[in-house]
Amino acid sequence: MKRHPMLKYLKEEGPLGPRLPLIFCPGCGSGQVLNYTLHAVDKLIEEDEVRRENFLFISGIGCSGRITSHYLNFDSAWTIHGRALAVATGALLANPAFKIVVFTGDGDTGSIGGNHFIHACRRNIDVTILCLNNGLYGMTGGQHAPTTPLGAITTTTPYSNREEAFDLCKLAEIAGAPYVARWTTAHPQQVIKSIMKGLRKKGTALIEILSQCPVHEKMSPVTLLKGFRTKTIHVNKAKESTVGKTFIGEFCDLDKREWNESYQEIIDQFLRTNDKIDE
Amino acid sequence: MNKLWIDERYCKGCLICIDVCPTKALAASQEINSKGYILPVEKDMKRCKSCGLCEVMCPDFAIAIEEVEG
Repeated sequence: MKRHPMLKYLKEEGPLGPRLPLIFCPGCGSGQVLNYTLHAVDKLIEEDEVRRENFLFISGIGCSGRITSHYLNFDSAWTIHGRALAVATGALLANPAFKIVVFTGDGDTGSIGGNHFIHACRRNIDVTILCLNNGLYGMTGGQHAPTTPLGAITTTTPYSNREEAFDLCKLAEIAGAPYVARWTTAHPQQVIKSIMKGLRKKGTALIEILSQCPVHEKMSPVTLLKGFRTKTIHVNKAKESTVGKTFIGEFCDLDKREWNESYQEIIDQFLRTNDKIDE
Repeated sequence: MNKLWIDERYCKGCLICIDVCPTKALAASQEINSKGYILPVEKDMKRCKSCGLCEVMCPDFAIAIEEVEG
């Protein structure tokens, strides 16, 4: 029997019995994003010969938080709500060779961890942030979140949402992240390429992935994926009618000095002065 | 003709694989399994080009396509 090629990176058996199937609801976007990430990691291990020990996966709280430590056969950490980026900063200081992937949800990044997020972008620390945006708080019962689209119906906005949604990509771009992209779970190859680009880039990379929640949006995953294809438009094709559409694509791709590298310059400077004193 | 393998322990019957298949080689099963899910089955595997899109988009790591020559 042939099995899924990415199962080699997952922990199927744990000390308390089998860990798979994944805990997510049928058709959840979190499992898909995990699949895309493993495809990108697989290509990086093959093409760039990155060692498996150099990957570190960090997540916060929420549905997206369940992705890392329980299932991945890599170094991983499941941290407190909204503070995944703070833990990532510490890990990067301890070992600058780490290739860090941070899984966060829209509640994790956009609301409780908002300040950690903008300051991680401002400092330009070398992490790849995968923000799974499903537009509501899935784990706690489908309440409306800062990223809920205008007019959407959730359990706490039964007569439709009257607040504008938070645009995390614009926020990251203005805060100074050098690589910002937005895709949906219906764009697998683009997501895989973006994750590879983000991991290769020295600096903060935000990849926002619009994800489906079939349970709280009360639609089949197939319908929701079709909706992602019709309701989004690539940022380079924005000359067409964009009313009611969400922009997807790469919003910025710059080369900037990374946080750890700029501190290393100060360290090197002092090491040089010490050498002179010794002479 | 390629062969479809479904891991019945892992599949949750979201049927995304049937929707994304560009050649429509898969179909939904007529039977409900012991967990209450409808699993994908082979419809016309002669059309399968083993592009791997079903494997990439599966949220539960349950599907695999084996390439068989002839």
